[in-house]
Amino acid sequence: MDVLVLCAKTILASLLIVAGGAKLSDPASFTSTVRLFIPLRVAWPLLSAIAIGVSLAELAVGLASLTLPAITALNALVFAIACAFVAVSAVGYALHRGRSCRCFGALSHRKFDAAGVLRSAVTAGIAAVALAHVGAAALQLDTTARVLLLAAAALLALAAFTAARARGTGREPEPKVEAQ
Amino acid sequence: MLLASSFVVVALVFCMATVLALFGVTHVSMSGAEAIERDGLAPGMPAPGWSLVDSTGKVVRSPPRTSLQLIMFTDHSLKSFPSVVDGLREVMAQERLEIVVLTRRRNELAESALRLIGLDGIPVLTGSPSLYAAYNVRVTPFAIFVDSAGRVRASSLVNHAWQVTKLLQLADLPPEPETLAPRGRFRRRTAGAGV
Repeated sequence: MDVLVLCAKTILASLLIVAGGAKLSDPASFTSTVRLFIPLRVAWPLLSAIAIGVSLAELAVGLASLTLPAITALNALVFAIACAFVAVSAVGYALHRGRSCRCFGALSHRKFDAAGVLRSAVTAGIAAVALAHVGAAALQLDTTARVLLLAAAALLALAAFTAARARGTGREPEPKVEAQ
Repeated sequence: MLLASSFVVVALVFCMATVLALFGVTHVSMSGAEAIERDGLAPGMPAPGWSLVDSTGKVVRSPPRTSLQLIMFTDHSLKSFPSVVDGLREVMAQERLEIVVLTRRRNELAESALRLIGLDGIPVLTGSPSLYAAYNVRVTPFAIFVDSAGRVRASSLVNHAWQVTKLLQLADLPPEPETLAPRGRFRRRTAGAGV
């Protein structure tokens, strides 16, 4: 059972790191998604700041969850985020069906649809498994292990950022006039 | 302690597997024939505007003053594509068409190579990787026709003479209203329209 819980923690942490890293490669398109969920007229810079904040938060929680497994409060936080994913998918399905969700930036072209709600529910289910109690004392990592995990997480975030940027090169803003 | 070690091993393996998967997916999506078909800009899209000076000091602009401009994304390696050279010779007689060669970076050999293959008179302009990216061009030789209104009329990778002439025919067709994108923001085309 403990191994299952740890696998669930790892999957969720990686998912958050990839999602955060990929979104950060193209904040403008994720900002468009954020705008769908804010009914008020809000200035684009503020929407952009919210989008970047959400991406950074995902990345930070993923990094913390991976490198500090003994902190059980993080499991609850990840579960809350997974529940938020379900809520966003459901609202997106109800109000913006067929629009791109940009959950993984340019890495995925998933849209708000029934399958998306199901995927979010599965994610929340995995997060619920990760909530199961594992002795904090048994999960104390030494500095070397923590540094290794931090390096792996950073590599993962960088890979997601680069892959999303490479796949979304055509969505750059209009280029500046070049002159010799 | 055993549990902590297991967690570290599982997490490291999972992270590395995910990195490899991301690398694989990106490699496949960017290197396939379908990916190359998506290169360039779709007809009707606004083309990037620029003003560059060739080696003789002549200023060349895009959009052009003539009705049509053929931007050839290539360099001295064009001499390895004799069929494309034939195609360019065939279309360069047309007065309404301005042909320019846009290199990715400074290339001293390009002008002499063009002269050698009988394409002298075509201005060679030094572009930049960012300008190539703006046109969404990765593979050369690539041809993009731009009209005087600054809209892309045809765009494709070219390897044969018939592709150059066919692109010119396509560029001559009036743009369809639904393909006319508003000016202001560069977007990638969603479907390949290669010749």
